[in-house]
Amino acid sequence: MENYEAYRLTGNMSKTKVMIFTGLLFAIALILSLVESIFPVMPMVVPGVKFGLSNIIVMYAIFFLGAKEAYLIAILKAIFVFFTRGFIASTLSLSGGLLSITCMLLISFLLKQNISIIGVSIIGAVSHNIGQFIVVSIIYVGISLWYYLPVLLVAGIITGLLTATMLKILLPALKRLV
Amino acid sequence: MKKYDIIIILFILLISFFSYLIYQNQVSNNPLRAEIYHYSELVETVPLDQGIDRIFSVKENENVIFHLFINGNICFEESDCPDKLCIKTGKISKPGQFAACLPNGLLLKIVSADYNNRDVDIIVGN
Repeated sequence: MENYEAYRLTGNMSKTKVMIFTGLLFAIALILSLVESIFPVMPMVVPGVKFGLSNIIVMYAIFFLGAKEAYLIAILKAIFVFFTRGFIASTLSLSGGLLSITCMLLISFLLKQNISIIGVSIIGAVSHNIGQFIVVSIIYVGISLWYYLPVLLVAGIITGLLTATMLKILLPALKRLV
Repeated sequence: MKKYDIIIILFILLISFFSYLIYQNQVSNNPLRAEIYHYSELVETVPLDQGIDRIFSVKENENVIFHLFINGNICFEESDCPDKLCIKTGKISKPGQFAACLPNGLLLKIVSADYNNRDVDIIVGN
């Protein structure tokens, strides 16, 4: 990871402040996924492929708040999806979110200085897709989904690049939140 | 962009390429069939490995003529629609490929014969 120490939040933050900030990030994540669903149909649209804008927030939480807060945001988001879009969408959200956070934590722990935010983001997007892929194959046994795997992987690379770039642009603005 | 970022990207591209190859290899071993839909209703199923040359139409629309080739390709041969897009699509032979004549509400698509025709109605969200 590049040196983002200037942006690191915990340490001088009280427990209450971390909690409030997590809630705030959760709200932003919800807004981003809402904004995403309003977007007009994009030329590259394939069913199931989205930009994953809320991954920006999850990544931010991982890097600058902590693993616990990132997991919390993912779980809260799954609960929200459960109330708005039902059980299956919620299960998909949870599986993708948890796997993607775990993989991002793992890769940034393993490679430390040798990987940038771009690589972490791509791993996050791809593992998010893989998590959903696994759950869909479990729920809908017998559906031939394998033709879709290459599409999901390549889409993960593209959306990962995109969200990493957006996080980089957004960092100064997010810093002002504190 | 650091070294491992590029390695990760290349690695994922490699995996997707191989899974694509495996899938292609897997489906090419399965017999294929063409399905013809008339306004979303399956009206005709044509096995592609018959090894015969056949020109036919479906009873829902006699003005549209299909052509099945010996080598397992299939295409729209003749149609009375204004734009002839269905004919311009040309021969199709691989699973997932399709040709459509929207003015006549006809869809020709190729599926793997072991493909179970269950309707998938799901919204994938994140």
